Amino acid sequence: MAALSRLGKDLRADRDEIPPGTLYLLVLKTLSVRGRLHGYEIAEGIQQASDDVLQVEEGSLYPALQRMLLKGWVNAEWGVTAGNRRARYYTLTQLGRKQLQAEISQFERVIGAITRVVQTA
Amino acid sequence: MEFIREMLRRYFTLRRRDQFENDLADEIQLHLDLREQQLAERGLTPSEARRVARLRFGNTTRLKEKSRMAWTSEILSNFLQDVTYGARSLLHTRVLTAVAILSLALGIGANTAIFSLLDAVLLRSLPVRDPGQLVLLGTGTEDGIGSSIADSELYSYPFYRELLKRNQVFSDVAAIFSMTDDVHGFVVDESDQVKPESEMMHVALVSGSYFPMLGVHAQVGRMLQEGDDISQGDHPVAVISQRFWRRAFSSDSNILGRKVKLGSAFFNVVGVAPDEFFGTKVGEAPDIWVPASMTKSVPPGWDFNTGNFTQCVNIIGRLKAGVSLETATSNVNVLLQQITRGFSDADLSQKNLQTLNKIKVPLTPVATGLSSLRQEFSQPLQILMGVVVLVLLIACANIGNLLLARSRARARELGVRQALGAHRGRLIRQLMTESLLLALGGGALGVALGAVAIRVLIRLVSGGADTIPVAAGLDLRVLGFTCAVTILAALLFGTVPAVRATRLSLTDSLKDGRASSNTSARNPLAKALVIAQVCLSLVLMVGAGLFIRTLVNLNNIDPGFNRQGVLRLNIDSQSTGMKDSDPRLTAMFRQIESLVSAIPGVKAASFSAFTFREGSWNEAMLVPGMPGNENIGVHQNVVGDGYFATMQISLLAGRTFNPGDSANSQRVAVISEHIAQTLFPPGNPIGRHFTIHDDGKDIDHEVIGIVKDVKFSDLREKTKNVNYLSYRQRSWGFGDFEVRYTGDYSAISHAVQQTIHSVNRTLPIMNVTTLDEQVARTMTNQRLVAQLSTFFGILAAFLSCIGVYGVMSYTISRRTNEIGIRIALGADRSNVRFLVMRETLMLVSGGIALGIPIALAGRRVIETMLYGLHGTEVASIAVSTALLLAAALLAGFLPAHRASMVDPIVALRFE
Repeated sequence: MAALSRLGKDLRADRDEIPPGTLYLLVLKTLSVRGRLHGYEIAEGIQQASDDVLQVEEGSLYPALQRMLLKGWVNAEWGVTAGNRRARYYTLTQLGRKQLQAEISQFERVIGAITRVVQTA
Repeated sequence: MEFIREMLRRYFTLRRRDQFENDLADEIQLHLDLREQQLAERGLTPSEARRVARLRFGNTTRLKEKSRMAWTSEILSNFLQDVTYGARSLLHTRVLTAVAILSLALGIGANTAIFSLLDAVLLRSLPVRDPGQLVLLGTGTEDGIGSSIADSELYSYPFYRELLKRNQVFSDVAAIFSMTDDVHGFVVDESDQVKPESEMMHVALVSGSYFPMLGVHAQVGRMLQEGDDISQGDHPVAVISQRFWRRAFSSDSNILGRKVKLGSAFFNVVGVAPDEFFGTKVGEAPDIWVPASMTKSVPPGWDFNTGNFTQCVNIIGRLKAGVSLETATSNVNVLLQQITRGFSDADLSQKNLQTLNKIKVPLTPVATGLSSLRQEFSQPLQILMGVVVLVLLIACANIGNLLLARSRARARELGVRQALGAHRGRLIRQLMTESLLLALGGGALGVALGAVAIRVLIRLVSGGADTIPVAAGLDLRVLGFTCAVTILAALLFGTVPAVRATRLSLTDSLKDGRASSNTSARNPLAKALVIAQVCLSLVLMVGAGLFIRTLVNLNNIDPGFNRQGVLRLNIDSQSTGMKDSDPRLTAMFRQIESLVSAIPGVKAASFSAFTFREGSWNEAMLVPGMPGNENIGVHQNVVGDGYFATMQISLLAGRTFNPGDSANSQRVAVISEHIAQTLFPPGNPIGRHFTIHDDGKDIDHEVIGIVKDVKFSDLREKTKNVNYLSYRQRSWGFGDFEVRYTGDYSAISHAVQQTIHSVNRTLPIMNVTTLDEQVARTMTNQRLVAQLSTFFGILAAFLSCIGVYGVMSYTISRRTNEIGIRIALGADRSNVRFLVMRETLMLVSGGIALGIPIALAGRRVIETMLYGLHGTEVASIAVSTALLLAAALLAGFLPAHRASMVDPIVALRFE
């Protein structure tokens, strides 16, 4: 849990829409499913995929994306949107794919543990 | 790896900060616009949509900040800030920075160069397996061939074989023929044709165990092994060096099976040594290694394999694990006695047994290899290392002073920053960053200078056209050293000023008023530094003076012959394949002598076995009625008829050799003055007889002449006995040829070489130079030390003058106010000048007073490097003092003059 809250510190939204610490996971997964997306599309993607249950605090997406760029999990390149606007598109790197696997297994481990705790109670 | 990639990404992103900000702003704007659009489509009013979009997004400024922060770390950004700020403030004072970097670069460059040579010659371990286990029998101070009962330095090959079998302390033992043979050999090309031009090849004869013992593995093919050395003369194999492979075979990849011809024998190349392996002697990189079993086939055909008492090899052993040097020493000494006595042909006469009993073999660790270079240059190099360290210290003192002055000028800035809440640690870090920048600048330039200086240095050390093959260069070790020196220098000159500058009483510096103008008492540290500089400079200058004096004294020694006007060269008569005693060879020598003598401009020409410092052949001269002579070795020199005329060695009595002295007539000899006085009974020795043991016989000679004494192997040596024989009577396979000439050196040199080739077209000619040069070369290390210490002495004095100038300028600038008042009150301008000059004088005299005792003490350290100095240090100190005083006063005069030109009105408004 310590790891979770540390990760989540700067990601946590005021409204607590998504579990703390899962933003990277959600972004990575969305990119791995949908390929090349810009920031707005990522936010929308997460929301849609979760049947509008999860809402990303939209602004926090951007510092997270910068950190992922630094880590080399994603690549960014500039392109043009359907509405002919300049947009930065993100794609997953090899390293990002590996990170996604790591995040998923960590997430499952934590969720599993939480579930067990909740059920015994 | 990932960390480095991350750093690179950081770097490339942060480098274009503006673009980063713009991109981020664009991206966020797009998001807001798209969200707003979506909300509007869902039916919100435009202003409502805009508000909600912003609300859902969050605080853009904060988020941008966070995005940016993703890329930076505080330490890094602070450091970058410091670097930028430091660089800017250094560029602000361009001249001072340039002077600082340049003086530091000279200091660091000099340290790099000297260290690189010192490392190559003295410190670096051989590139072999566990060099720490290797020990040499003896001390490695001799090479050659002896024939006594036993020796503690050189050993016979059969002795090595016995030692290998019987010792209990070495895991392996190897023998190396103590002389590297210089052979004019031939390369055989791919189509098995011997190339027509011969090439100089340095050939080392080693036992089969040599490479296995060292643990050196071949780059290509194989190294020599025990099997190559088991039986005489039937293993014509060779391992070549990487350099030779490149030079002679253009790195041919099919090198295995190629051949070289040495003398009349062909050797198959079986392997190439690794690049870093240069043998076991520093400064003698062999081109070819040949098994000792082939000794007879390698010119000049030493035959040492079977002689039980032919002492000519060095023996190196690898200590078994856990065996101490003491244990090994005692084992080796026991074996020396046993093996020597055990040889069937041992002459165990009373005298020999006495000699044998006295022999004690020391074992010397040879992790760094054997080297004659080391004997010659270890002391000069150590002295020079000391000198350059002092120079660097002086440079550091200068920069320390510069920074001290700068930080005082910045006192206000630093005060304000501290008052505004900057941590002192942070300020010190910033000042240290500036010092580090300076040091790195100096270090980088220093490495560049060092790279050039190393080459110059090797040339100076080599003292001739051929540079000594030492592996001195900018390798990792040397660069590591330079890096350490640079950082150390930065700490040295940066710490104190940084700590001082930030230790302020805030109110004082903020006032920055007249209270602080009385600086004469306020920079004792700066003055101490200048005094130290002057002191060290004096020490260096006195040292330089002593070395110059030594060189002059050496040069003034009369060698007994005339150094001027003689061309000398070497031929390789072995390359003809004729035996020394072959009459055709003697005839060839005579023909060359007579043809060369006939060249216009040539006054005399002669072959000789030796001229100066070329080794020696020593035999006792037995004179009837003079007991004890047999214990006195006399240098024997075999010469041509024209030798004494060529060398201008004056004849004191009798005659020199002439064509009448033939192979069939009475053997005759010309003796030196000292022989006449010490080895002959009183009275005229001319006409007297003596015998020398030569070629297994006692040969009777008659004295026909007495000549002046000459120096034979060293200018500093005591008078030595030299006996001259004629090659008409005693054949010799000459190498040395001397020509006395007048006129143009290069024209004569050309004519002489052409004449020699007209007699024998293929005779190799080498080492063409003058006798003067040959003699001067024996003073290489004195010249090296004298030249370099003079250079560094001047440099040190110059740096000190900059120091004096800097401190005095600074003092004046702080006292402008006071000086203005003095002038306003009527002080004479010359009075003001005197005031400043007096302070300069005090500083410099302080340094000199401190330096004189240090210089006198230092003289003892360099005592053995000096020659013929009797009380000269007084003169040297006087001259150095005068020079230093003059230079420093000149440096002090400029600020003094400026002070005297102060306009009182301006000065009083100042500050």
